[in-house]
Amino acid sequence: MGIRHIFLGAALAVAGALSGATAFAGETLDQIMSSNTLKVATDPNWAPQSFLNDNNEMDGFDVDVAREIASRMGVEVEFVTPSWDIITAGNWNGRWHLSVGSMTPTTARGEILDFPGVYYYTPASAVVHNDSPYENVADLNGAKMAAGISTTFELYLQKDLTIDASGVPTFEYQITPGEYRSYETGAVALDDLRLGDGVRLNGVVGSLPAMLKAIENGYPIRVLGEPLFYEPLAIATDKGDAELNAKLSAIVDEMRNDGTLKTLSEKWYGIDYTTALN
Amino acid sequence: MLHRDTVISDIAVHKPKVMAGIFAAAFVIFTLMGLKDTIFGALMAPVIGDPAEAGFSGNAATGLVLAILLTVNIVLIAFLPLRYQIGIVWLQLLLLFLTFFYSFDLKLSFIQTKIWFMITQGLFTTLYISAISIALASGLAIIGAVAKLSSNGFAFAIASFYTSFFRGIPLLMQIYLIYLGLPQLGFVIDAVPAGILALTLCYGAYMTEIFRAGIQSIDKGQWEASRSIGFGFGLTMRRIILPQSMPLIIPPTGNQFIAMLKDSSLVSVIGVWELMFLARTLGNKDFRHMEMLITAAMIYWMLTVCLELIQSRIERHYKSPQH
Amino acid sequence: MTKTVIEMVGVNKWYGDFQALNNINLKVEEGDRIVICGPSGSGKSTLIRTLNYLEAHQEGRITVDGTDLHPRMKNVTQVRTNTGMVFQQFNLFPHMTVLENLMAGPIWVRKLPKAEARAQAMTYLDRVRIPEQADKYPGQLSGGQQQRVAIARSLCMNPKVMLFDEPTSALDPEMVSEVLDTMIGLARDGMTMICVTHEMGFAKAVADRVIFMDQGEIVEENAPKPFFDAPQNSRTKTFLGQILQH
Repeated sequence: MGIRHIFLGAALAVAGALSGATAFAGETLDQIMSSNTLKVATDPNWAPQSFLNDNNEMDGFDVDVAREIASRMGVEVEFVTPSWDIITAGNWNGRWHLSVGSMTPTTARGEILDFPGVYYYTPASAVVHNDSPYENVADLNGAKMAAGISTTFELYLQKDLTIDASGVPTFEYQITPGEYRSYETGAVALDDLRLGDGVRLNGVVGSLPAMLKAIENGYPIRVLGEPLFYEPLAIATDKGDAELNAKLSAIVDEMRNDGTLKTLSEKWYGIDYTTALN
Repeated sequence: MLHRDTVISDIAVHKPKVMAGIFAAAFVIFTLMGLKDTIFGALMAPVIGDPAEAGFSGNAATGLVLAILLTVNIVLIAFLPLRYQIGIVWLQLLLLFLTFFYSFDLKLSFIQTKIWFMITQGLFTTLYISAISIALASGLAIIGAVAKLSSNGFAFAIASFYTSFFRGIPLLMQIYLIYLGLPQLGFVIDAVPAGILALTLCYGAYMTEIFRAGIQSIDKGQWEASRSIGFGFGLTMRRIILPQSMPLIIPPTGNQFIAMLKDSSLVSVIGVWELMFLARTLGNKDFRHMEMLITAAMIYWMLTVCLELIQSRIERHYKSPQH
Repeated sequence: MTKTVIEMVGVNKWYGDFQALNNINLKVEEGDRIVICGPSGSGKSTLIRTLNYLEAHQEGRITVDGTDLHPRMKNVTQVRTNTGMVFQQFNLFPHMTVLENLMAGPIWVRKLPKAEARAQAMTYLDRVRIPEQADKYPGQLSGGQQQRVAIARSLCMNPKVMLFDEPTSALDPEMVSEVLDTMIGLARDGMTMICVTHEMGFAKAVADRVIFMDQGEIVEENAPKPFFDAPQNSRTKTFLGQILQH
């Protein structure tokens, strides 16, 4: 567990002791409508979902989805960029209204956040260095593994992953790491993996699209075997505003049904990830 | 400078034994580093042949040449006057550093496209957050110092609790506590004010001690003289004590500012687009993290060098007799 | 009929167990010039410092220009500006020029307009005969010059009485006389003065009364001539024997 995580835990303990104020029904929605602005939190360290493009502007699949949601609500969109662990900590207090950040709706997160809509699914895969001897996922038992902090990949490696959403294919814990390390982001873990097999890491678990992107950019890594699990990814809101959730839920359904999500997925991934697979 | 004796012994690097030692050590280390596959090996190709096939002798030959170069270099530099020695050693270390970075296979064109944004957005944000924070921290430090020196039990207790707490927990944690904790009390503040508040509180606590030492350094006679012409506490503090403490307070405050400039990188976790945030984020899409990190490191370094120069001028200014 | 400027009745003061002032009774009238002497630790500095309340007494009564001194008095500023204090170590403000040292009190306490404060400061600098040093910093002056600036600084507050706490003790010998000359000049002009000093020549020249203190008490008090020529108390005799034997 990273040092950061411990700090956050302590910070949350204090915050919790001071007792959380959850949003009242309709309150967040009123705020969005009266300010005519939908504030969306997304961490721009996750290309191609969310990143800074060549013009140093927010761009990516999540960002496009957020823009589309805002336009269907008839309001402007504004992006804020708190780090991932702050977004997942909940208690947003109206600082932002919505997270479009490829978040997996786990049970634990469900206690502090609401998930009005699953908008796509990603396969999670293990990658290893090109020079490594590993042939299939089972070979990674006992290896030095890593994932980004507070991610489902981390929870998977810790065998503590419960995905609380309908239509998720069942999965098994196929890897028992010999040693586990969590990183600020999955990208940093890949930077350590590229140093060579076993120099710091033997393998990294992360989202398949991000891994493919890294390979495309010349990282000396390869994907091992079949996906470990499929991860439904949802938009998230602060706990408690049912009216907002209903509205968002309807918008996501609409975007799936009219093919908008499919178009965006194909634009960014080249593949349609927006329906449950198999 | 250390206080030097008037008796001068031989310069160490002109003693044959010392040089032989350095040469031997360098030879062993360079050889063991196995440099034949690097740019040095490529330069040695006419002697050792194809580096890939040269084996141990290739490493040894490369190590030998490098060791000779290093030894000769040291001997020659030792003959130069002090100023040139310093300049040349700096330059060589810098070159070594750049070679090290160069070996990462950095994409300079990528840096070129991003550096301007890093400066206008990142550096600017870093600077203004630090400047506001140091100004507020100074104000807080004065209050804290006066409270800590006062005989009022409440003031002393509050001030010492404050300094103890904020010096006792990591800045990163303070940032989280303020950003996530304050909203629980009903104060929802944005990332930038939260960052400024955290830096102010943290550095205010450190600077309280600086101000306290500065105030305490003023002779009791100044207080008495000030009182004897009818100054009350406020006037005495403002007109007599603080102005005289400044020479003791400003140099360490400058150091705090330089330190804060780097610590302000911690507010990147709450999403402030300062230098560190951009360093982590800009390279993300193209998997060019090293480029951005090194660029940001260079910007921090340059800035610190500039500030250190200003700092030493300020120190010299306050050492002049009128102050 | 003369007016009483300072009155001390039965004043006692302790530092912990040590009694610094023991039943002090003293009356100073307008125009009085009093010299206090005594061995070190006899309480003479403590006495003079209670008069502008830099030190607090614990028993007895001190009245300065009609105001009773006690810890809760509201008009301490008035008391302190009425009593000019000159310190052994000068205590000029080193970050201000000579002129600024002199103008500080009048401007910030008396709220005098700047021009007026400056004119007054120059008058007193003339009086202590160093107007040419007005724009220098204290650190650039000799000890004697600094002490004269300190005297001028006190005078700028137009005090009713001047208190001198060993004003020449920290000076090099050749500078003592310039300071004493200044003080003699003040005395000639009729300033009420209380002066802790070992300069017996000064005492003989200007004092109305000389007070000898030992172990916190006033042992002997007399006009200079009888004081020096025929001291009554044996402790006074011993002390005078020690300081006048050269």
